[in-house]
Parts: sequence; structure tokens; C-alpha cells
Amino acid sequence: MPVQQADNNDNPLYVAHQKIYPRVASGRFARLRVLSILTLLGIYYVTPLLQWNDRQAILFDLPARKFYLFGLTLWPQDFIYLAALLILAGLSLFFFTALLGRVWCGYACPQTVWTEAYLWMERKIEGNRSKRMKLDKAPTSASKIRIKLLKHTIWITFSLWTGFTFVAYFTPINELANNLFTGNLGPWEMFWILFYSLATYGNAGFMREQVCMYMCPYARFQSAMFDSDTLIVAYHPERGDPRGSRRRGTDPKEVGLGDCIDCNLCVQVCPTGIDIRDGLQYECIACSACIDACDEIMDKMKYPRGLIDYTTENSARGEPQHILRPRILVYATILLVLCGLLLTHISQRIALDLDVIRDRNTLYRETRDGLIENVYTLKILNMDSSSHQYSLWADGIDGLKLVSDQPELIVEAGAVYETVVRLQADEFNMEERSVPVRFHLQAIEANHLTIVEEARFVGPGKK
Amino acid sequence: MEALTPDKIPRAQQVISILWPSFICAIVASGIFFSAFNPKELIPFNLDIDISPLAAYSIGFLLFWILAIVSSMGTLYFTISNCRVLRKQGN
Ligand code: SF4
Ligand code: SF4
Repeated sequence: MPVQQADNNDNPLYVAHQKIYPRVASGRFARLRVLSILTLLGIYYVTPLLQWNDRQAILFDLPARKFYLFGLTLWPQDFIYLAALLILAGLSLFFFTALLGRVWCGYACPQTVWTEAYLWMERKIEGNRSKRMKLDKAPTSASKIRIKLLKHTIWITFSLWTGFTFVAYFTPINELANNLFTGNLGPWEMFWILFYSLATYGNAGFMREQVCMYMCPYARFQSAMFDSDTLIVAYHPERGDPRGSRRRGTDPKEVGLGDCIDCNLCVQVCPTGIDIRDGLQYECIACSACIDACDEIMDKMKYPRGLIDYTTENSARGEPQHILRPRILVYATILLVLCGLLLTHISQRIALDLDVIRDRNTLYRETRDGLIENVYTLKILNMDSSSHQYSLWADGIDGLKLVSDQPELIVEAGAVYETVVRLQADEFNMEERSVPVRFHLQAIEANHLTIVEEARFVGPGKK
Repeated sequence: MEALTPDKIPRAQQVISILWPSFICAIVASGIFFSAFNPKELIPFNLDIDISPLAAYSIGFLLFWILAIVSSMGTLYFTISNCRVLRKQGN
């Protein structure tokens, strides 16, 4: 794959190359892209507003150390799920990249989504590509300042809203809005709103394609996931070359030219400023803007569409395509198995946790009736969404008795309950000095909420 | 074109190449760390610090970030200075 080296030797600042003024493309892929971008933006801004049983539907509640996901409440103990989700996300990226190339970049990456949103605002305020270029070249004037000021004000407002929404995933949005309007915003809430806003403003307003080119690890190692059957955006040189301008309706063969009229529109619409006709380049985010632009030209020229289109290396070479190839099957199998495991695990997850801590101060003591007694501190964590009463018993030694001062064990939803219990056993029933015992905890009226926890019971040892 | 060696990478890109990977590492590190430890339980009992959970998590994250930044800076510093040394030696 020919990969071009960006020439940025003599540039002191982060503007490694000239500012890119993408022309807006319209067509079927552009419509698909707008649809995808609007959906994703909608999900981002609306999610914190959703409510579920008098609380925010999706919330990382940092003070309570809980993560609410609609009906599900995850605790730090459930960290494994988050890790599994991340692995799943990574694997899906592999899978979809092998199959569809960089669709993620062109249609779903936050960098693309927000850049497109900021470009849209820029277009609405500064005008189309040539107007924007003229404005930037024009000497400073009152109207230029006015336009730029307007653009940045709107950008910054949108960034602040984005930052606010971000923090609302961690602090309930009602509380956050209330604090904001009453001037009671905590310093760290303020810090994160500003931090996230600044990142959005910088990335979507200024850095744009440079994020993809210099900061995105995915863009660098994507070639490892590509093969000759991966979907790519490509120009067909055998059809387009030799390029050259001509009058509308000319038959290219008569003038000895290919189908490309060298109008440069495919370059002008490209958000990363490359010429797809030079071949596949790592800068190409497969946004398909050049396909739409060229199709429009082909329509005008009455040539067939698809001089630039989605293709695969194999089909461009006229070789058979393989959708179901080993790589795809392997990724798909791993993905399905992992998804299945995760779902079964979550559905069988027991919303109850028990911690048993043996009293370390005394190994054991003898009761008045001559029994050996050990003391334990139990920590019961009710991770369910309703409160429960529990029954507690222990086994492991013949005639083991559990003594508690607490007649009833009731734990509120999402609460931790600590209680001290004593186990008593006859030393003649103990095989060894230290014997494993099991604590059983079961919710009354919700028998599936059962948990067993092991501990050790220590005695004087056989005499 | 002369080969692009690390010491010729523009300053701003050097800064980004330090800040950005360490930012990602800090997210992962704070995620793992704070799943295992509750900041409330980390404050020794004899210290009477009243700190909000968000502040604790934020400070933890920033500390991880700084740590990773220092490490990235070290890597970049050695890469660049090694380039200069090798060039002086005529390699
Ligand atoms: S848009 Fe199509 S016709 Fe125009 S220069 Fe690009 S490839 Fe050629
Ligand atoms: S070359 Fe085409 S598909 Fe690739 S980034 Fe540019 S416009 Fe998008």
C-alpha cells in the first residue's frame, strides 16, 4: 500500500501543512454520513437526560462508586465487565476494519463527528469553500472580525455545552444544571467542563484531520488489519487516465483521454486534503466525500458513475472477492463467544456480596460450655435494586453453631451492612487445628440471591 | 528528502506525543486503581481531610497523568539526545 510521508520539516507549529478548506459534498454517501453523525450527536447529548426509576438512566456515580446502566447497577467489583466491554470494542474494531475498512473513521469516530459539526457551523457563518478561503486571505476588517467573532462564540458555546454534557455522565444532570445556574458549581466540575470544552474546541475547530494523521494510533496500525478483500475508497486509474479537461458530452475515446476530467473536485472535498487518485494513503479516512463529488461530475458528463468508489483491492484487480475469509471468521467467532460469555455472566450475576474477616486478635476462645468459639466480622453488600432480609448459617464442622446478636439481617438496596457473628464447635468434631467452614447467605423470598463464602475455624488442635 | 529523525519533529508534535499517550494511560490507570481502592478509605485516619469524591478522583487522575508525562518525556528526551549523539559520531 503506498503510504505518503507528510512533509512537515520546516514547520515550527502544529500546522504541519496548509489549512484545509473542505468543499461540501452532496450525494448518497454524504446523506448517510449526515444521518450517522446526527444520530451519534443526538445519543451523546440526550443520554444524560434519560431517566430510569427516579434516577439518571446512565450515570457513573463517583461518590457512591456505582455505575448505573438502565436497570443494571454495576459496582467496582464488576470492573471485569468494563474490561470485557473494552476488549469487545477492540475486537469489533478489528472485525469491522477487516470487513469494511475505515468505516469507523468516516462515519462514527467522535473526531469526525464533531469536526463535521464544527465545519457545518463554519460553513453557515463564513460561507462555502471559496468564501472561507477569501475571508482568511482578506486583510483584517471590521466585518472579518465580526464574522470570526461570531464563529468562535458559537463554537465556544457549543463546546461548553459538550463539556457540560460530558460532566453530566458523572454528576446527575439536574444537580449539575442547578449548581451551574445558582453559581454553586464545584471547582472540579468546573475544571472538567472547561477541560472537555477546550479539547472539543481545539480538536474539532482547529486540529481536525491532524488528529487523524498524528495522534490516532488506529490510523497507523490499520494496515495490519487490512487485506486484499477489505473495503476501500479507490480511484480506477485504468478507467480515468489519462486525465484532462474536455467539453461536456465529449466521448473520451475520441480525444484520447480517460474518464477523469481533472476537475480536482475530489481533492477539494477531501477533509484530509489528499488526492485519492494517487492511490490509497493512510490519511484517507474513507469518508467517501470524493465518491459523491466524482459521481456528480460523472452524471454531468453523462459518464457512468463509480470512477472513484468503494471497492476492494481484489475486485479492482478483477480478481474474485471473498467476504467470508478465515480472518473474518476467526474475528466473528471470537466476538460471538465473548459476547455470549459476557451476557450469560451478567444474567447470572448475583447481586449480593459477602466478605468474611476473622477476628485477628484472638485465635479462639472457650465458652463456658466448653465449646471452641471464633469471631468473624461479616460485610454484606446488597447490590440489588431493592432491600432484602437474609438468612445466614454456617457449616463445615459437625454441630457447628452460629451465634449472632442480630435477630434480623436486613440490608437496604445498594448498602453495605457490617455485623459480628460467632461460630461455636466442639473440638472433638475438628479433624485438625484449623478447619475450613462455609458461611451461607440467602435472601429470604429471593432464593436466587445466595452466596457462599469460605473462612477458617481455628481451635487448639487434637489433644 | 533527508530522513525525518525524532529531533526534527516539530515542537508542537513532540508536545502532543507526550501529552496524548500519557493521557490515555492515565485513564486506564485511574480506572483500574479506583476500582480497587475507594479514595475515602485511602486517607489515613489521623489526617482530617475533607475532600469531595470528584476532587479525589480528579487529583488521582492528574497525578497518574503527570507520572505518565514524566515517563514519556524521558523516552522522548533520550530518543532525541541519542539521535544527536549518533549524528555527532557520524552515523
Ligand atoms: S472528481 Fe472525478 S473527474 Fe474530477 S478530478 Fe476527481 S476523479 Fe477526476
Ligand atoms: S480520499 Fe476521499 S474518502 Fe479518503 S478522506 Fe479524502 S475524500 Fe474521504
